[in-house]
Amino acid sequence: MDALKRLDATGIPLLLARIVVGFVFLSYGIEKVSDPLTFLKSIKNYDLLPLEPTWFINSIAVILPFTEIVCGLALLSGIGLRAGGAITSLMLMAFTPAVYLLGSSLVGTTAEFDSLCNVVADCGCGSGAIPICNKLMENCGMLILSLWATFSMSGKFRGGLST
Amino acid sequence: MNAENHEGQNASLANDGSSKGLSTSCCCGSVLKSALVIVALSSFLALTTNALRSSGSIDLSRNYFRTLQAPVNPVQEQDSNGSNSEINSAGNTGENISDQDTTSGQEEAQPDDGIQRLTFEDVHDHFMTAEEMVGMGESIVAFVDARVRDQYEEGHIPGALWLYHYESGDLIDALRPQLEMAFFIIVYCNGGDCEDSLYLAADLGSLYGLPPENIYVYEGGLNEWKEREMPVVTGSEAR
Repeated sequence: MDALKRLDATGIPLLLARIVVGFVFLSYGIEKVSDPLTFLKSIKNYDLLPLEPTWFINSIAVILPFTEIVCGLALLSGIGLRAGGAITSLMLMAFTPAVYLLGSSLVGTTAEFDSLCNVVADCGCGSGAIPICNKLMENCGMLILSLWATFSMSGKFRGGLST
Repeated sequence: MNAENHEGQNASLANDGSSKGLSTSCCCGSVLKSALVIVALSSFLALTTNALRSSGSIDLSRNYFRTLQAPVNPVQEQDSNGSNSEINSAGNTGENISDQDTTSGQEEAQPDDGIQRLTFEDVHDHFMTAEEMVGMGESIVAFVDARVRDQYEEGHIPGALWLYHYESGDLIDALRPQLEMAFFIIVYCNGGDCEDSLYLAADLGSLYGLPPENIYVYEGGLNEWKEREMPVVTGSEAR
């Protein structure tokens, strides 16, 4: 724990988390905002959310990309840093199991998809069609960084209006 | 963002190792406030942008995935004159009784969702009929392409009308005369995992008021059409 606290005190993990998670969420959010109907289809393809009432899934398709953009900006700017980190952490905690379930459902559907790590699919995340295992690892890494940004006690590289 | 300034102060306090409990409780409150601000700001921006979009916006009240929840085809029965009469357009659990010869051989294999499906052979026959009638200026067969505009322009069935499912509300009025004239409205997308043709077929019958018994889905889609080496037209024009 002491080593982690010393590492955190340097502010470097926080800076890394802000830049990486902030940029990724910003770019994925912009990608989704550019084509919300495709994102709506992607959400539906997970078969996890109810289709009734209709405004529920439609609102998620409209609002979620903007939440990603605002969170990305919060992390990059440092304004609302902890809140941005907390929301991205929650989103990643929801998305990662969903991506796993999507990948699992595709195993065996074609000859190439004989195992989870051989499944290539568009998870609707904004990254296009990529191997599901890579996406899961990316999400886990991003979740660690997001949690770091949320709970970091470092006074360095916090950005925001106070610096 | 006063809450964020508190966050910075809290971080400094925590680094000092003093007032740790105070900083944690205060921090949680400010984080929650900031999170609510982010969610409210995002929602405002999202809904405003969606309302102002000229194309590609999402109609929050529309059910874009109507197929299985609300089967399209009304139960049909033949009256004494031999003509169809509609007895139920809602609450149908998927039983599709049709007197169309073209589907009589397939109904057993069709999913029980109220959508009439056509095989390649049936679609091929309708296509040949449609091509023969082009010169006569009649169109009892209408092919409808449910895919996005770019895909339509990259290649579509000759004569197919472009009616992108997710923007069909804006496009339907211009196509309605041709669709109302047709006895066979054959909807397709890419085939395979593509379900947009099923959703559009459902909407054509239940949302746009076209006769459900005239609406069919070609599930093989354009991929199968091309695999069978059938003609394809590129560009924005139907032909």
